[in-house]
Amino acid sequence: MKDKLSKEEVLHVAELARISLTEEEIEKYQIELKELLNDVEKINDVKGYDDDILIACWSENTRLRKDEAKEMLNPKDVINVAPRHSGNYIEVPVVISDGEGA
Amino acid sequence: MKYLNLKIEEINKLLKEKKITPTILVEEAFENIENNKELNAYITLNKEEALKQAKELENKEVDNILFGLPIALKDNIITKGLRTTCASHILDNFIPIYNATVVEKLKSKNMIIIGKTNMDEFAMGSSSRTSYFGAPRNPWNKEKISGGSSGGSATTIAARDVLFALGSDTGGSIRQPASYTGIVGMKPTYGRVSRYGLVAFASSLDQIGPMTRNVYENAILLNAIVGKDDKDLTSAKKEEEDFTRFIGKDIKVLKLAVPNFFMSDIVNIEIRNKVKDIIKVLENNGAKVDYIDIKYIDKAMTLYQIIAMGEASSNLARFDGIRYGHSKENPENIEDVYYGTRAEGFGEEVKRRIMVGSYLLSGENAKTYYNKALSIRDDMRKELTNIFKDYDLIIGPTTTTTAYNLDDPMDDPKKSFMDDVLVIPVNMAGLPGLNIPIGFDSKHMPIGMQIIANAFEEAKIYHLASFIEKELNLKLDPKGGEHNE
Amino acid sequence: MSNYIATVGVEVHVELKTNTKIFSNSINGYGEMANSLTNVVDLGYPGTLPTLNEEVINLALKAATILNCKIRREMHFDRKNYFYPDNPKNYQITQARTPIGYDGYVEIEINGEKKKIYIEEMHIEEDTCKSAHRGTKTLLDFNRAGVPLIEIVTKPCMESGEEAKLYLEKLREILFYGNISDCKIEEGSMRADANVSIRKSKSDPFGIKVEIKNIGSISNVALSIEKERLRQEKMIEAKETFKPQTRRFDDKLGDTVLMRVKETGNDYRYFPEPDIPFVIITDEMIENAKKTIPMLPDERRKLYLEKGVSKINTTKLIQNRVLSDYFNNLLNEFTNFQIASNLLLGDISGYLNKTEKTINDTTLTKERFIELINCIEDNTLTSKNLKEILESILTSKKSIKEIIKENNIENITDDSAIKEIINKIIMNNPESVNDYKNGHDRAIKFLMGQVMKETKGQIDPKLAMEILQNELQ
Repeated sequence: MKDKLSKEEVLHVAELARISLTEEEIEKYQIELKELLNDVEKINDVKGYDDDILIACWSENTRLRKDEAKEMLNPKDVINVAPRHSGNYIEVPVVISDGEGA
Repeated sequence: MKYLNLKIEEINKLLKEKKITPTILVEEAFENIENNKELNAYITLNKEEALKQAKELENKEVDNILFGLPIALKDNIITKGLRTTCASHILDNFIPIYNATVVEKLKSKNMIIIGKTNMDEFAMGSSSRTSYFGAPRNPWNKEKISGGSSGGSATTIAARDVLFALGSDTGGSIRQPASYTGIVGMKPTYGRVSRYGLVAFASSLDQIGPMTRNVYENAILLNAIVGKDDKDLTSAKKEEEDFTRFIGKDIKVLKLAVPNFFMSDIVNIEIRNKVKDIIKVLENNGAKVDYIDIKYIDKAMTLYQIIAMGEASSNLARFDGIRYGHSKENPENIEDVYYGTRAEGFGEEVKRRIMVGSYLLSGENAKTYYNKALSIRDDMRKELTNIFKDYDLIIGPTTTTTAYNLDDPMDDPKKSFMDDVLVIPVNMAGLPGLNIPIGFDSKHMPIGMQIIANAFEEAKIYHLASFIEKELNLKLDPKGGEHNE
Repeated sequence: MSNYIATVGVEVHVELKTNTKIFSNSINGYGEMANSLTNVVDLGYPGTLPTLNEEVINLALKAATILNCKIRREMHFDRKNYFYPDNPKNYQITQARTPIGYDGYVEIEINGEKKKIYIEEMHIEEDTCKSAHRGTKTLLDFNRAGVPLIEIVTKPCMESGEEAKLYLEKLREILFYGNISDCKIEEGSMRADANVSIRKSKSDPFGIKVEIKNIGSISNVALSIEKERLRQEKMIEAKETFKPQTRRFDDKLGDTVLMRVKETGNDYRYFPEPDIPFVIITDEMIENAKKTIPMLPDERRKLYLEKGVSKINTTKLIQNRVLSDYFNNLLNEFTNFQIASNLLLGDISGYLNKTEKTINDTTLTKERFIELINCIEDNTLTSKNLKEILESILTSKKSIKEIIKENNIENITDDSAIKEIINKIIMNNPESVNDYKNGHDRAIKFLMGQVMKETKGQIDPKLAMEILQNELQ
């Protein structure tokens, strides 16, 4: 087993995490991330479990909320904590590509 | 007169008789904190507001035992109008506009929030050294760590600044620092205390819990913060109960299990011997103790790494410099907002965990690691829960070593997980667990014992813990000088 | 004729008609001041947690029922992780593994034949916030963040833009009638994306898939699919290769344009949402949802035709849900449904449009409407007279007969009285009578006009014509 990740692998996870890295950081994480990932491999030693998954430790009856509106924020409060804003809007540098989501 | 050194019942009596006021207690707390400044237990003090609130309470009836008492909150618990940083640069100017549910509960008891305590950044770490504001120091030895991630809360309780603090425990972050600093720390059953307003590290593991000088005060504080919360779907609906109800009862009825893994050579011999001494005491007093094997317990750390880092990578995605918090100045474009803000805002440990977590969830890895971990976790919870068909409680050491030096190297990414190897299984199974001080090692650093119960049986834990506390009668004030060793 | 077969699948996002958002109790609204319909949960503030709106589950169960889906009895939510400014937590809460509905279908009619469009799955998720691009800035309005959506995904089972269009029209109609969504494409409460590929024969593997996003209308869905099919045909014929890609429909160009080429599959890092435990769908929840599904268009169509309503009136009624609901109220009564539909779609609709009212804003109770229908049927009221008193009928609570009386417009239905008037007119217009007898058809129209004038229209024209013709012989 190689003892460090490739530079590309580190850059890939840094991209997933949206963190820019310096050259030194990349070198450091090539080793450190690999060490953690090797550790995690131990999960493959575990045998004999069933397929049920645990999402919440103690599930009771599903709790649903009544469809009733409660108090909302004043737009001014929303804007005040935002680093950049314009009018009642929160502002970011222009987004060129399309939305990926819904 | 140091009122905050009195027992809670005594303070309450004095308040009721109007012999002292909440203002006196608050002023004393700030004086203590000032005197212990070098311990670096706090990130933000709430001086002005706390004094104002104390003044307001002077005209109110003393309606409960927690009335007018100062409390410190770990800085990942959201406080309206009071800076909440998670010990991170990315939130170092963040002033929330709402309160966590626990904060509302404390306010309804007329407790006074004295400040926000130091911690590992976003609760990621086991020594509080990943804090953007520098690590807190251990009151027993200022060159040693207080543990983490709730290191500041542990420090301020151990130093006897205040009676009460809240911490949070994702993989031992209440119990481990409690053990290192010689205090009582409880991680309640997952779902006991609302997580609404606790900044999420790993949602399926995080739980807020009380950190106090002694068992009784711990149970009293837990009484005040539990309860189903409509704002948290993972909070549990349970009848109200008094967690102090078994305190002082004899322990003849108790059947205890000691996992062999907890007494294996991963644990320092001094600690193992101390635990064995305690087991003898318990047996002499009629408790039945068995050594048992528990399936999966040695794999808990691996599961924890996968689940906690996976969830963290997603939970911390919201810190992007757009809606709140630190944001990179003059960004060139939207990607620069993301990459720049997060590179500047997060510290090393957080970056490392987010990256590993992202990796573990990406593409096919989600199947090979994450989903598998969720399946094994389900089995592990069943295994652990099964133990309680035959036993009332599981006991063992809380940590493998006592507190180590602040300047020990931090370059081993696995170290912070290893520190928590004995406390993590509890979180994986959602069980309650508590640290009770049981003595000191040869360097006079505190040793702690962990008591684990079945889900929602915290009262049983306090039962045994109170017995041990009374039986040992340790001197646990670091400035108290003498101790019974 | 093309040598290729197109394969089309459609993904539709529909905003659910709830009072509040899916995971928070702020208002689900449209067109309000920016960032005025938000709370700390919608904005993804640190420490906040989702709650689950019961009406979202209820509406999703209704939709699943209407779409003939099987229902997942134990479901959870998943996080879809991606960074985007319109995504407040930088993960979207959706259902990847356990969609609430699966294996359903919608039936359409194409070229006179019925075809089932198969639904792969339908799941619940939250909407993103709205962004507007202004020069070098993008402005974010989080009012839409957390609005409940269902996403309905078909199997790749359609073969043309026309089919996709019929499917979407049908889907819009039933979701609208089911009270599940407004389905307003122009306001974004219904949004469609299409996946298009082509191949030579059904035994060939599927061709390269192209996704068309952000299509602004149903007719443009059909158009963009056909344009895309042609584009792909041309490329294949010219032996050009292309990669899987995302395109969008440009209204002005009337064609699709490239948005991005899909390099690798998006890495959304799905995992189960730990903040929301398993949701158990009980029999009771399903029953409650089913019980409250209003009558759907297909059933209405069948009933209306059975009750003797013309095909054209049936179609028109169903285009107006309020009128159709009103009409449904009558269905258990004995009355002339064709006249009822004529009245509703004719004079009454005219009045409602002019006054910007709905039928429910009028005083026309079921009982009074049936009285009105009877008056028309037995000629107590002619359509001309109706126009004069329509406003009174729709605004007062008096019986129709009373209104007729008050307005002095009693129809003359007594044969002998009509005869008398007609004979008088015949006597007074000998020339016209002569013309008629000499075969000038126009003359009878003149005489008829005189009759109507004399009677002030308070006479059934058909009956009058009959008597006039008899008297002239």
